[in-house]
Amino acid sequence: MGFESKREEKEIKYAETRIYTDAEVHNYTEEELKSFKVKHDIPDLDELEKGPWPSFVADAKREALHRSKLPKDKMLVAPDVVEDMLGQLQLSFDDGETHWKHGGIVGIMGYGGGVIGRYSDLADKYPSIAHFHTLRVNQPASKFYDTGFLRTICDLWEYRGSGMMNLHGSTGDMVLLGTVTDQLEPIFFELTHVMDQDLGGSGSNLRTPSACIGKARCEFSCYDTQALSYELTNHYQDELHRPAFPYKFKFKFDGCPNGCVASIARSDMSFIGTWRDDIRIDQEAVKAYIAGDFQPNGGAHAGRDWGGFDIEKEVIGLCPTRCMVMEDGILKINNPECTRCMHCINVMPRALRPGLDTGISILCGAKAPILEGAQMSTLIVPFMKAEPPYDNIKEFIEKVWEWWMEEGKNRERLGELIQRKSLPAFLEVLGLPPAPQMVKAPRSNPYIFWKEEDVPGGWDRDIKGYRERHKR
Amino acid sequence: MEELKKAILDFAENSKKSKFYFKDMEKGVQEKFPDAKMREIKKAATALINEGVLIFFSTGSSTMYGLKGRGMTEDPE
Ligand code: SF4
Ligand code: SF4
Repeated sequence: MGFESKREEKEIKYAETRIYTDAEVHNYTEEELKSFKVKHDIPDLDELEKGPWPSFVADAKREALHRSKLPKDKMLVAPDVVEDMLGQLQLSFDDGETHWKHGGIVGIMGYGGGVIGRYSDLADKYPSIAHFHTLRVNQPASKFYDTGFLRTICDLWEYRGSGMMNLHGSTGDMVLLGTVTDQLEPIFFELTHVMDQDLGGSGSNLRTPSACIGKARCEFSCYDTQALSYELTNHYQDELHRPAFPYKFKFKFDGCPNGCVASIARSDMSFIGTWRDDIRIDQEAVKAYIAGDFQPNGGAHAGRDWGGFDIEKEVIGLCPTRCMVMEDGILKINNPECTRCMHCINVMPRALRPGLDTGISILCGAKAPILEGAQMSTLIVPFMKAEPPYDNIKEFIEKVWEWWMEEGKNRERLGELIQRKSLPAFLEVLGLPPAPQMVKAPRSNPYIFWKEEDVPGGWDRDIKGYRERHKR
Repeated sequence: MEELKKAILDFAENSKKSKFYFKDMEKGVQEKFPDAKMREIKKAATALINEGVLIFFSTGSSTMYGLKGRGMTEDPE
């Protein structure tokens, strides 16, 4: 079944939504930029512009200059908001502490997420950032935009916000940085009614789900990441907008184990595409790679002369489970031993492809360092089909949430709860059997303890019979 | 629903802190109504939010609830 939108898609026509003229959009020269000075002294920030990497300071200065030249009646937030932000940041560097207050009440009526209240504690000195709220805008699945959409949101944010944005935050949202309380509802109205665009998650919510480009462009994708992301975003609207979780909760969708959205490292629940049949092999194409007719890795490493392609060294010898061999010019894979690492497929995409019986693995519990250090997700469901209406996946999600909401402490991530209560306790709640794939390394985390009911005959044994077989 | 809303308000008015986590509110309500389910409490809390009686407080990473006008102004001190 192909993807179907739940509602008619709206085309945003920039000609109808635009606020600024072309001349206003391109209102300064590179010469002017070179001589432009922001109104505060920012020596440490100037330092950040040096070196080979792009710098947010350079971008912020462009925006500051741009705003200084826009007509004043075409901005509802102070023109010098970017300059004050830079000034306060410099002072934070000098003082070694932040000058943002911690959190706030602001939000959109009825929404418990998507807006993060930010207030300066130096409003006298930097009046334009007395309020400097952040909005998180739910990015479209896989971040497909057209220019009409991007231009419209840029104009909207220039007009009703600071003009500064971060594309994209690590959760995936478009992050709009810095506006005042009075502008929140009007921005929300424009986003939803004109642009057909919702806010994302923040706080103790389901956070904005995020997907790799998946079947839209990538031949490796084992399920439709965009469709699943879209379905769960719609299905769990209440969880996205009305926070009742112990803490944040993230879904991420990778179409294959290459993990382009790094779901395994960055989400409480990672959905990673996989297959349970055999890797498809085109032996003629294997020969063509060996003969040098096709470039390995699609030519990705062709910038240097690495010598001829050596399948033993570059593919077979690097297979982590050593499950590949060449026999009489035929490549063979012992599929039950394959861990689906993708290496061989990445090197020889024209010869090897994922199997056809595809679905997902579900892993749980990744998080950033706050407690116990950073943690990757642990494999919980080795294989599940991922097809609309995804009821099997929803059932799994809801079981996990129910346990976490019941047992989780305030500000405890799912991964921390699993650590505290133990993986077997988690598996028991889910009704899943322990599997070898859940063991990180043999003999290093022997966390499976047998319970009496798991063992045939329980703990009772016939001691007489035993003694007959085993002398003291 | 109305009973749960009242229990939430009682909890919010009597809580020592002006902001509290959902879980603490849930426990407070369940002291009076031990059978109240999390989903029902959430629905009642959402209704109070929509009526403008309760408010959300967010640091960006986690969210708390509070009673409008009690101890919190829009701008945190
Ligand atoms: S994770 Fe896999 S399917 Fe998704 S874009 Fe990356 S390589 Fe393609
Ligand atoms: S996917 Fe990885 S584990 Fe599987 S055969 Fe290829 S290299 Fe080996």
